[in-house]
Amino acid sequence: MNRMETDVIVIGGGATGAGTIRDLALRGVKTILIEKNDIASGATGRNHGLLHSGARYAVKDPESAQECIRENQILRKIAWHCIEDTGGLFVTLPEDDPAYHSLLLDGCKHAGIPAKEISIKKALQLEPNLNPHILSAITVPDGTIDPFRLTSANMLDAIERGAKVLTHTKVVSVIKKGTEIIGVLCRNIHGEEIEIYAKMVVNAAGVWGQEICNLAGIDLPMFPSKGSMLIIDYRINGVVINRCRPPADGDIIVPGDTVSLIGTTSKEIPYDKIDEYTIDDDEIDVLLSDGEKMIPNVRFTRALRAYCGVRPLVAVSGEKQGRNISRGIVLIDHKERDGIDGLVTISGGKLMTYRLMAEKTADLVCSKIGVKAKCKTDKIPLPGSEHKFTSRRTMKKFSGIPDSVVGSTFYRHGQRLRNILTTDKKNYRLICECEMVTEGEIEYAIKKLNVHDLVDLRRRTRIGMGPCQGELCAYRGSGLFHEYGGASPEGSVELLNDFLEERWKGIKPVLWGDGLRESEFTYWIYEGLFGMSNLKNNKKGLKQ
Amino acid sequence: MIYDCVIIGGGLAGLTCGIKCAKEGLHTVIISGGMNSLHFSSGSIDLAGYTEKGAIVKKPFEYIKDLIKSNKEHPYTKIGLSSIKKSIDFFIDELASDNIPLNNNGEYNHFRVTPLGAVKPTYLSQESVYSSKGKEIIKSKGKIAILNFKGFRDYYAEQTAANIKNHPIFQDIEITVGSISLPYYHKTEKNLHEFRSIDISRIFETEKYLPRIAEEIKRAAGDAVAISLPAFIGIKNYKSIRQKLEAMTGKFIYEIPTLPPSILGLRIDHALKDRFFSYGGEYIAGEKIVSGKINKNEVESISTLNEGRLSEIKSKYYVLATGSFFSGGLQSRLEGISETIFDLATNGTNPRNKWYSKNFFDKKSHPFLNFGVVTDKNLNAKTKEGKAIKNLLCAGAIIGGYNPIKEGCGGGVAIASAYKCAELIAKDLKK
Amino acid sequence: MIKLENISFDHCIKCTVCTMYCPVAQATHLFPGPKQSGPDAERLRIKNPELVDSSLKYCTNCKRCEIACPSNVKIAEIIQKAKWNYVKIHWFRPRDFFMSRTDLVGSITTIVSTITNFVVNLKITRAFMHIFLKIPFTRQFPPYAKGTFKKLYEKKISKTQRPFEKRVAFFHGCYINYNNHSLGQDLIRVMNAMGYGVDIVKEKCCGVPLIANGYIEKAKKNAKFNIAHLSKTETPIVSTSSSCSYALLHEYKEFLEMDNSGYISRLDYITKFIYDEFSRGNIPKMKPLGIRAAYHSPCHLERMGGVMYTLGVLKKIPGLELVILNSECCGIAGTYGFKNENYEISQAIGSALFKLIDNANPEFVITDCETCTMQIEMNTKYKVLHPVTLIAMALKE
Repeated sequence: MNRMETDVIVIGGGATGAGTIRDLALRGVKTILIEKNDIASGATGRNHGLLHSGARYAVKDPESAQECIRENQILRKIAWHCIEDTGGLFVTLPEDDPAYHSLLLDGCKHAGIPAKEISIKKALQLEPNLNPHILSAITVPDGTIDPFRLTSANMLDAIERGAKVLTHTKVVSVIKKGTEIIGVLCRNIHGEEIEIYAKMVVNAAGVWGQEICNLAGIDLPMFPSKGSMLIIDYRINGVVINRCRPPADGDIIVPGDTVSLIGTTSKEIPYDKIDEYTIDDDEIDVLLSDGEKMIPNVRFTRALRAYCGVRPLVAVSGEKQGRNISRGIVLIDHKERDGIDGLVTISGGKLMTYRLMAEKTADLVCSKIGVKAKCKTDKIPLPGSEHKFTSRRTMKKFSGIPDSVVGSTFYRHGQRLRNILTTDKKNYRLICECEMVTEGEIEYAIKKLNVHDLVDLRRRTRIGMGPCQGELCAYRGSGLFHEYGGASPEGSVELLNDFLEERWKGIKPVLWGDGLRESEFTYWIYEGLFGMSNLKNNKKGLKQ
Repeated sequence: MIYDCVIIGGGLAGLTCGIKCAKEGLHTVIISGGMNSLHFSSGSIDLAGYTEKGAIVKKPFEYIKDLIKSNKEHPYTKIGLSSIKKSIDFFIDELASDNIPLNNNGEYNHFRVTPLGAVKPTYLSQESVYSSKGKEIIKSKGKIAILNFKGFRDYYAEQTAANIKNHPIFQDIEITVGSISLPYYHKTEKNLHEFRSIDISRIFETEKYLPRIAEEIKRAAGDAVAISLPAFIGIKNYKSIRQKLEAMTGKFIYEIPTLPPSILGLRIDHALKDRFFSYGGEYIAGEKIVSGKINKNEVESISTLNEGRLSEIKSKYYVLATGSFFSGGLQSRLEGISETIFDLATNGTNPRNKWYSKNFFDKKSHPFLNFGVVTDKNLNAKTKEGKAIKNLLCAGAIIGGYNPIKEGCGGGVAIASAYKCAELIAKDLKK
Repeated sequence: MIKLENISFDHCIKCTVCTMYCPVAQATHLFPGPKQSGPDAERLRIKNPELVDSSLKYCTNCKRCEIACPSNVKIAEIIQKAKWNYVKIHWFRPRDFFMSRTDLVGSITTIVSTITNFVVNLKITRAFMHIFLKIPFTRQFPPYAKGTFKKLYEKKISKTQRPFEKRVAFFHGCYINYNNHSLGQDLIRVMNAMGYGVDIVKEKCCGVPLIANGYIEKAKKNAKFNIAHLSKTETPIVSTSSSCSYALLHEYKEFLEMDNSGYISRLDYITKFIYDEFSRGNIPKMKPLGIRAAYHSPCHLERMGGVMYTLGVLKKIPGLELVILNSECCGIAGTYGFKNENYEISQAIGSALFKLIDNANPEFVITDCETCTMQIEMNTKYKVLHPVTLIAMALKE
């Protein structure tokens, strides 16, 4: 058995966990992060990627709204390469209560969110695909944020400052000494067990935090609320479009990288269903018909996939309905709550406030282990965001490489593109043609960004996230995994199989139209031409 | 002008039907809206590869004979065994006259190796995929080298090699992996060109690089008696290129398909078009038939749409060979499945969550692959009212009621149904 | 942001068939192919308009990708549109400016045609053009005619057309107007033989070279002029240029987004018009030609679906032995092959066609397009004829 020691163990590789190890690393604290799956594979990577201005909470939850706008301004400085400043609109449809319009303006004013009413004509100039029958429009400083990139950059920085990250490693039990937790026992993907000892354990496992607490003998009920979203083939909007009404199903369309997302439905689910991620046809129907009301093009555009996330809402005051439970930050010192030392749980909140949650957690942890250093994460930029450059200027620097490659790589890795776009010829070789991912970028991700399989690779590079959903690049990627990632040839074929199955989960709820054509084509290739499921016959042993 | 036969769709089914019609002396036109799925196929013709339960079929004709007895709705049942046999012979003859000899294993299926190293049953293959010489090499346990070109991302020799080693046929055979470099390749690197199999096949077609490629092959293959290359050794004159390379290297050359475009399939496409033209057939490319008029269970005309103007085309007979969803013969919407030109009856069922299986590589495959137009016993399409349309016959993937991939019968159904349609039309018009 | 009608790229399922059939991608690896430049890159360009690759300029707009596409994606159109966005960034380009203003250059040079034709073929002029205008040294230019076809019509032809009751309007285009009067005269003979009198209307260059060189505003101006004048006619309208026809029928509406409904139902490329007349039994008396000719189908005619009509008409000419060449692009693509940077590519694209023609060894080559004609005549030893000229040759005096 392996044994490790550190100052603080953080359980959960979402944005909060990653932010916490970065915060602690900046204060000189040694950490190990344990994630049972891959980074940002839970709620962090399963939301609409909105860089909230706070306006969505301005009427009902002023505290959250204020947190949002503060963090919004900080993230724009420290993580600009994970962010796109698209701006946002709140639009009132004919069927909406017009009174909410002024409520929202007041709420924003109160929370310090720069919201401004604009003419309908101007709104349509800003967003030509918008429903022309809207009654009013308000601009807010919304933007988009890429959760994978954000999490990855936080981890990269922490690792460069001495932290360790163990992905695909599951906590199986906590190690206790009396009422104090002194470490955890975990098991990695190869079945090896590792004992890690630390002064403090941070439970940042999101909705799975309930299980971690159970391991420690603590009861912390979570109320899982499933939110489903729909991804559309390309950017049908350039600006975030919100519906000007109290938050409800299907009221936001966010442009994210090359696609747009329609969000969100909210549905309470039993705790034992949190790992199923199924999306029902009626959820899709709601998203489509509501999305169409804001941007009529929605109906004519290919739906790429649907996915859902489970919000880690902790019921503090006994409320049970998904949207009504506060999304506020919940930081629990289990010594105070349950008399168990050495464990804190951080939950609630949202992607937007990950840094603040990390700061609060690190403050508490540091006070317990006697570290005096203060939080610096609001000042020091993340790797990739060191100096602000425009993509135009960057493209000029890399003349000779097509602008679309430089631009896309820059968009994904910020200034770290220097590590990727070297003069090597493989940087010109396209692997994923939809998202312009080159062989060079894949090599960099496999070697530097803690990637174990093609699904992990997708989170770092967007390979397979375009309209073809991995139809060609999945195979190419599997070969590169053999070449750079140390996978055996048979293993790389299994990775390919797993990747296509993972893509299928999101495709099948939206299987109609061009999406179905695409899937038929993909099936021809991998099943008809390549004989994927025939492989098992090899071993069975046939007699001719 | 009224044609004898208008074939809508220029894929394997449309072209086969066109060749047979034109050869019978009918005034035939094929209208094709975009390139066909042969561009992505293995180039082998599957007749019947798997049973209902997924077991491998050894003798396809025998299997079909049983299938005809048990499954009344299967297209093979409607075509009948004798037409199926005739159609395959016809197909072999036609391709042989365009210098693409197709081999079979008598009444047995043979195997082809896939890029992943799986082994799939099929009935007809090109010489580079199945031949008696290749069979001998396997029998004599000769050493095989699986080769790829450096920098080519649409094929990985390592995966093929590792997986076929697990198969009983290859168990005792020494298999090595190697890579060769391509003389022309360095020129193509510093840009975003996709560098597909088609680009390499063009390099082979110029033939001037062959001696250097042969040297590379000899170096990488060592003392192997047979080598496999990703399938791109030429399109039009592949036979002579392969012979030359075999002579230069002294090694048997096997081909394994790559990611699309598939050169093996492309050869069949080119050869079929050549045959069709040689019999005086007319071929209109890039035209989409958008609608058809049906009156008293008979098609009056079909129309193309260009610049907002409909142009009518009239014929005595129409063959619907528009393929499945990919090729646009069928359409799936949130509301359901429909046929795109005549809005014919289909076997597509709602709700849409019944169109697919849980896993992508599900044992049951996917129900949507079975969807297609409902036909009567003579392959006449049926209207939604259930009436058979006298002069509208169906061929290939547009026909419902079978799963081309799961059953391993896509090529066979396309060829046999196309041939059957042509037979019926010729018989009627020659009366 | 993108408009609803321009989202055909959404249907692309990445099958790559277009790139297989792209003559430019075959000839040069500098062009990443229509799939990459069109539907793939379009999603990126919507995300960030700065992500435009300069390799777009290699597209010849031959539209073979659109013919091959099984998903109905308007690939070439997507690329053309992206190309203007790219071109917008650039400054005044004297060569492209003059090359695309066919009527400006034509109306000046036809006045002094003898001198122009002489000067343009002087080595010193060619060297100057090669270096300063970046026009390839070896590229042959079409000789300019003396005066314009329009003048010729007004002076000599118009009065001979009066007796005919049935009328047809003729969009002659720049090539007939400035370079090749005899094709115009052939058309008039053929129409007369079929009982039609020919009118000509006021017209400007159809705009194809302007569009190809990114002068969209100017193209729109020309289109507006042509739409206004063509819409005023009440008779059928014909054009002998496949590219002009394509612009008038298709590009005005789909590409320049202008309303051409005033004439569209009456305008045909000439062989479609003749084909329909032939089908109605209006076939002029023809004598057997006794000619063996090879037919090359121009890209834009293929895209229009017009090849079947040209072939239908040619098959009705007695004594014409026709070799139908495999469909290949000649490589010139309008003004494309007249530019230094494209010259080699243009020649490489055409080489397959030239070989086919040599193998066929015909007496003449037949094609519908004027720039294909120039390219084939420059690169092979054969004279190239328009289908209308062949009918005119077969007419009994």
